[in-house]
Amino acid sequence: METPPTCPRCVYESVEKLFTSPVPGVWDVLQCQRCLYTWRTSEPARRTRRDHYPEEFRMSPEDIENAVEVPAVPPLLPRD
Amino acid sequence: MAYDDLRSFLHALDKEGQLLRVTDEVVPEPDIAAAANAAPRMGDAAPALYFDNVRGFIDARIAMNVHGSWANHALALGLPKQTGAKAQVAEFIRRWEDFPVQPEWRAEPLWAANAVEGGDVDVFQVLPLFRLNDGDGGFYIDKAAVVSKDPEDPDNSDKQNVGIYRIEVKGKRRLALQPAPVHDIALHLRKAEERGEDLPVAIALGNDPVISIVAATPMAYDENEYELAGALRGAPAPIAKAPLTGLPVPWGSEVVIEGVVEGRTREIEGPFGEFTGHYSGGRSMPVIRIDRISYRTDPVFEHLYLGMPWTEIDYLMAANTCVPIHQELKRDFPEVQAVNATYTHGLVVIVSTKTRYGGFAKAVGTRVLSTSHGLGYAATVIVVDEDVDPFNLTQVMWALSTKMNPAHDLVRLPAMSVVPLAPQADTPGIVDKLIIDATTPVEPERRGDRSSRVRDLPEAGEWLTRLQRLAAAR
Repeated sequence: METPPTCPRCVYESVEKLFTSPVPGVWDVLQCQRCLYTWRTSEPARRTRRDHYPEEFRMSPEDIENAVEVPAVPPLLPRD
Repeated sequence: MAYDDLRSFLHALDKEGQLLRVTDEVVPEPDIAAAANAAPRMGDAAPALYFDNVRGFIDARIAMNVHGSWANHALALGLPKQTGAKAQVAEFIRRWEDFPVQPEWRAEPLWAANAVEGGDVDVFQVLPLFRLNDGDGGFYIDKAAVVSKDPEDPDNSDKQNVGIYRIEVKGKRRLALQPAPVHDIALHLRKAEERGEDLPVAIALGNDPVISIVAATPMAYDENEYELAGALRGAPAPIAKAPLTGLPVPWGSEVVIEGVVEGRTREIEGPFGEFTGHYSGGRSMPVIRIDRISYRTDPVFEHLYLGMPWTEIDYLMAANTCVPIHQELKRDFPEVQAVNATYTHGLVVIVSTKTRYGGFAKAVGTRVLSTSHGLGYAATVIVVDEDVDPFNLTQVMWALSTKMNPAHDLVRLPAMSVVPLAPQADTPGIVDKLIIDATTPVEPERRGDRSSRVRDLPEAGEWLTRLQRLAAAR
């Protein structure tokens, strides 16, 4: 039995299918529900498999938590 | 020759031998991005690429590298494809003098042929999206003209903005947007968010080639990009009202996505391989909700690969980066001859100038830093003599080799502003800047032996023409 996909970037186990190939059965586009990494199942292993996914692009929950806001949300103007 | 849509330009590129059709089946990744990565390596006459046989898709049509060579950039401006970079910049400067040329409201926009709205929206059904670089967080849209209005002054068309920003696709009707603080759209978003409102946007994809050029031009906040398009085209830019937001979008776009930047929302985005040739992100960035997509029948997805320079983006923001800097310098210093800011959107700027008196070149160099664009770029400025062509790097290297004395000619300015994406900064957004004076010292500055300069023989110009004619006739 095929194991359900996990995110190659942050190893989260909740992954959703965003799109599937118009020619049936060729590929799916998947998305991690935590780090939002999005990939096509037909991409090379360096983009789709955790064991091949480059160290420099991996993301941790802390990276997401501490991601800088660009641009920062400004304060609300005082209402009259 | 003004093109009113992408397809007529693709046709023109085809006729000029500047469009390469890849008819063999390719895989979406890594083939399309790798081909677009490779194309500019073919040189100054590199072609655009067209793919219509992509595995898994039934009817994908993808155009890459449309602006990705000096030849294609020349054709976009209606110039002969052999026109060199310096001549294209000079022509750009000349045409900008006709600015502003009012756009033309034209009925029956081409993108009005089909539409989906609300819950039926699925961007994947309309665009054959794919990844560009290995570390990208997802599939991006990075060559679309994003249109927005100043929320405090929505009827002022001068303050509206048409710009190219990086957009990550996050769902069927969800996108991320990067409004860097130096961008005009960041001002619009800030004003909307201060009022607790969303910012309506229209995202026009697959445009006539001049729209992409003006959308990538660093114009002043209150300058209208469509009015520059008119000046560059030599004919008013045709525009039409987007049906949901009422925003003015190009009449000939392949696809128009409408929606809002959701006010006061941020979410993880990226990373994305950027124009600096480095990744940036992941950061927490604004989110767009798509409410409507209008599109031509059989839309062409025009996309742009960017990576280690030069790639298409370097051509798309080359000439248009030089011109505003040239204009601002020329106002203060008529001695300025030419400006080459084609390197990584002007992170390096080379200026040639006559020298009024000793020390003058350093003043010209530091003035580059206070131009509107220089505030966020121009980390290194090289100033050369009037007879050195800043677009001819062998001449620039000669000037550096023989005229620059580090004892006198380096001016380092600490802690200046730069775009946060500039990777060399210790603190993102702050960098020391450098002026290199590679001009010949003039009175009252007395140093170096400049007395025995060898100049081109007066007859050499004629001989160049003669030799070129002989070579062509072989």
